[in-house]
Amino acid sequence: MRTHPMSRAILLALLAGGAPLAHAGDGSDTMRVGDMQYGNGLDPRGGSPLMTPDAEGMSWLHPGMLRTPSGALYPYPYTLAGKPVGQGGDWTYWGLLQLGYIHPGGDRNAEFFRQYTDWKNGAALGLFAMGFDNRRTGQYVEFRGSRISGDDQYYRLRAGRYGHYRLEAFYRDMPHTVSTNAFPIWDGIGGSNLTLPAGLTPGGSTIAAVQQASAAAPRRTLGLTRTRTGVSLEGELYRDWVGFASITNERRDGTRLWGGPMFFDYPFFTDTGSPYGGDGGIMETVRPIDFSTTDVDLGLRRVGKLWHFNALYTGSFFRDRKSYLDYQNPFLITNVIGVPNAGPVVDGEYSLEPDNDYHNLRLELSRELKWRGELSLAAAYGTMRQNDALLPPVNCTGTLGFAAGPLQQLIPCDLWNTPAALSRTHSGARIDTRLFDAKVTYHPRRNFCWHADLRYYDEDNKTRYLAYNPLTGQYGYISENGAQGSVVPGETGIFDNGYYAGSIVQIASIPFGYQDTVLELGAEWNVGRSDSLSLVYTFDHDRPRHRERTRLDEQRIKLSWVSRSLGDATLRASFEYGDRGGGRYDYDPYAAYYSTSMPGFVGAGGLPPPAFTVDAMRKYDMSDRKETKARVILIYPLGDSSTVSATFYGNRDHYDALVGRQDTRSTGFTGEWDWQPGPRTNASVYLGAETTRLKLANVADDESVVGAAGRDDPRFGGPLYPLENYWHDLDRERDYNAGVTFAHDFGRVRLDLAWNYAQSLSRLNYDLASPGALTFPQAAPLLDGRFPDNHYRSSTFDAGLSFPVTASIGVRLFGRYQSGSFLDWHYLGFDDTLVYDHRVYTDRGPQVHYRATLVGAMLSIKL
Amino acid sequence: MNRLLLPLLFALASAWPAASAHAQAKAQAEVAPAAVPAAAASAAFLDLRAQAPIRGDAQAGAGKATVCAACHGPQGVAVAPNFPNLAGQSATYLYVQLRQFHDGQRRDPVMSGQAAPLSDTDMRDLAAHFASLAPKPSGRADAGSRGARLFLAGDPARGIPPCQACHGVDALGPRVQPTGGAPHPPWATIPRLRGQSAIYLVKRLGDFRQGIRPGSSNTRIMEGVASTLDDADVQALAAYLSAL
Repeated sequence: MRTHPMSRAILLALLAGGAPLAHAGDGSDTMRVGDMQYGNGLDPRGGSPLMTPDAEGMSWLHPGMLRTPSGALYPYPYTLAGKPVGQGGDWTYWGLLQLGYIHPGGDRNAEFFRQYTDWKNGAALGLFAMGFDNRRTGQYVEFRGSRISGDDQYYRLRAGRYGHYRLEAFYRDMPHTVSTNAFPIWDGIGGSNLTLPAGLTPGGSTIAAVQQASAAAPRRTLGLTRTRTGVSLEGELYRDWVGFASITNERRDGTRLWGGPMFFDYPFFTDTGSPYGGDGGIMETVRPIDFSTTDVDLGLRRVGKLWHFNALYTGSFFRDRKSYLDYQNPFLITNVIGVPNAGPVVDGEYSLEPDNDYHNLRLELSRELKWRGELSLAAAYGTMRQNDALLPPVNCTGTLGFAAGPLQQLIPCDLWNTPAALSRTHSGARIDTRLFDAKVTYHPRRNFCWHADLRYYDEDNKTRYLAYNPLTGQYGYISENGAQGSVVPGETGIFDNGYYAGSIVQIASIPFGYQDTVLELGAEWNVGRSDSLSLVYTFDHDRPRHRERTRLDEQRIKLSWVSRSLGDATLRASFEYGDRGGGRYDYDPYAAYYSTSMPGFVGAGGLPPPAFTVDAMRKYDMSDRKETKARVILIYPLGDSSTVSATFYGNRDHYDALVGRQDTRSTGFTGEWDWQPGPRTNASVYLGAETTRLKLANVADDESVVGAAGRDDPRFGGPLYPLENYWHDLDRERDYNAGVTFAHDFGRVRLDLAWNYAQSLSRLNYDLASPGALTFPQAAPLLDGRFPDNHYRSSTFDAGLSFPVTASIGVRLFGRYQSGSFLDWHYLGFDDTLVYDHRVYTDRGPQVHYRATLVGAMLSIKL
Repeated sequence: MNRLLLPLLFALASAWPAASAHAQAKAQAEVAPAAVPAAAASAAFLDLRAQAPIRGDAQAGAGKATVCAACHGPQGVAVAPNFPNLAGQSATYLYVQLRQFHDGQRRDPVMSGQAAPLSDTDMRDLAAHFASLAPKPSGRADAGSRGARLFLAGDPARGIPPCQACHGVDALGPRVQPTGGAPHPPWATIPRLRGQSAIYLVKRLGDFRQGIRPGSSNTRIMEGVASTLDDADVQALAAYLSAL
């Protein structure tokens, strides 16, 4: 075997230290594992150095073959030509090592520059690839690897024998930068316990102290690394029986921005003039990411002459190694009645994602029928289960709350900070799904076919949890653990037959689920030799559980036309119309899960509880809807070597809702010109544009009625929801994408150029029936009916030059220039400070303007 | 910068097709009239994928075939089994073979010398002449033989494709099928095998297995096919085809 000594050293190092290879696996091309694409920032396609266009084309038998049947261009097939191919017995082999140096410059930490690539200054492995093929037996082994950094790399091994079996294994690390501009005030970032630094007093810091701590906090990059490993095997078991098995594991490790308590927000802000600030307790924290998901797929299929059989088991097992996030609150939290608390609100806690087990077994059987027909039957059963130990409602010590005359709102923490305060120790959550699908297809004539499909799906949520504390005999939970909600009268989250008899809190989980039945009828005609028409009718009968409607019916009709009768062009056009309606709309189907349904509930002040929401509210997935979709795709060959393609599309949704989502629209165009005059040259120009809009309406409640008579009136136009408090907003977005690519092999030198531009502009307008729609009506004169525009723009230019030095050594020089700008009004003001009264934020947001460069040189060595 | 770059690239892309089309037209005018060589092929390689069926004057060819008859027989049926029968063979196939001898892409102690002085018209006429002759009468092949099975069905377990896919179910060459407007494969360049001598077939398949046939796109196909055959397969196929 003729290999370069360096290749042996690298291979040995990988096998010895690495362990990655030993555990790796992948179902590329089959979708059984999920990793379809291997690439990185250096080479998004993966294996580009191996992709030498083959002048000899696709087939030794067929000329041309460079277009799809509809006229789009195939790229020239890639060849191993140019690489020395060794021979040893029946085996041929090849190898390529590409090593080099990369140097990022300019605003190299800009979030959008390094969002999915861990650019670092230093050596990089562009590609290490080896392949072995046995043309006599059809056996093959192929290895590929690339490394930018320890957090951005991939290695893949494939082996098998054509027509018999295939083994795939992989290891890869993929970075995802969340923010490069984060300034968290806490210590312990990345862990489960966020503590305040020296200088801040938990539950008792001044605003100035928190501002100072924020200003002094070091800039951090938040992000995570996805590490995927897996192995899959597929092969013929016996005659027509093929089996496969795969297992993959994905670990996610890192940090991300995490909200935090949101109570109180600005509407109830009171400027007390105190150095400790006023109301509220809003914190943007940082949470750890420490997940793993293991997927197992087992399959067995048989493709016989008459019967086809397919069985598939899918298992997915999610594990979160960190089940909670504890944080310290820096602010002095007050109740709103002006008396001192029994103790400071010091600690808060979040429960993080629970472990989850998912199993699904699907069986499919199909049989050929007369008249070129086919009957297909499918049945599946799935179950999702969670049974983590539940965390207690709070993690405080001492006593929360206050005592003032008749207001005796004292909460002994030891009755709420232990699992004994829960109705059960483990979640016992479970959702089961069932699917049955029967489809029959017939081709009674060569130019006509029809099909009928009946599909039934049921999602049964068996989770039942009652928020009941057996230590106190109370229902509900302590709301806003670590924030102001836990100490404000009426907001504590507890219900009982005594002091908290007027609390409106959720006391049980709502077992959402649905049962869906879909009937589809379709027919297709070939009209002449160049046109075909198809018509599909669908009736969808949905029965949601514990939702605003118990029945939703939607009828859809889709008409499609495919034509090749317009010269050389291929035209695809479709039009679809859907009309959804249903049973009576109940604006409050959740009463049974709230304390208002409990015996002993007494409305505060002797009043009935306020309406759950306005009766005119229609949630977008439950409302009547008329939907129209149209799409036209045109592919037109220009001469022998180029193709123009264009797509026009538009979607319109109209919702029958006075309150809620009313209207969505999207209209778009994509166009592309591809040119491939020969294997040495290719170029493309592409352009895309899309506009979308979303219109919704709502009505603000009249705060003066919330605590008065009439508060239980849900009518739109009633005292609680007066017409003058009605408002609309219109969210419009325009997105553009354009680019040019060009590559040419001059013989001694290959040049490749690419430019890509992306822009997004969003605008939010609103209008009000009157200033009464505002929380602060007095602010109305300051408003102009729109929020500041948000925009995102990015321009990336790539250039590369490749040339050989000797027969087996080549050089590739490349560079990238990326510039962009970003503006989002949510981040406005954060350049001054991240602390506003009782609100501390962590992320200053992406860089407003940036320019980053990347240069690199790679040495390619054919092994 | 980007504002400048875009029009520049457009201009470059627009100018390129014209320059390229001119270069291609010039190159095509210089190549052999019937065959289009692959762009990067060596001189020894002949790309037959775009080879159109040829035309020739069979009557004129008859007058130029006197020397050929010494080996291939006056009626195109070889005088000895080591020579191929030419009667009824595809004219285009015969023309391509003569052209390869003429151009030195295929070498044979006798045929290279015979083909060297021929003009393109001579080669077309000779090919048309032999194609017009009545093929050798059919024999009695064993339809149940291993050779028949390999020819008609191949052996999927060993990766052997059925020969009939290209050479026709009766070994009289392929039947042209509609392609819906797509370019046809070069069916006319594929030889008829029916009644060819076993000795000649064994030698030819051996050449493919050893990779010593001259390079053409058809050779590349046959090299792949022949590599799946063992000696017994070759003998079985030759016996079957010679008896057809």
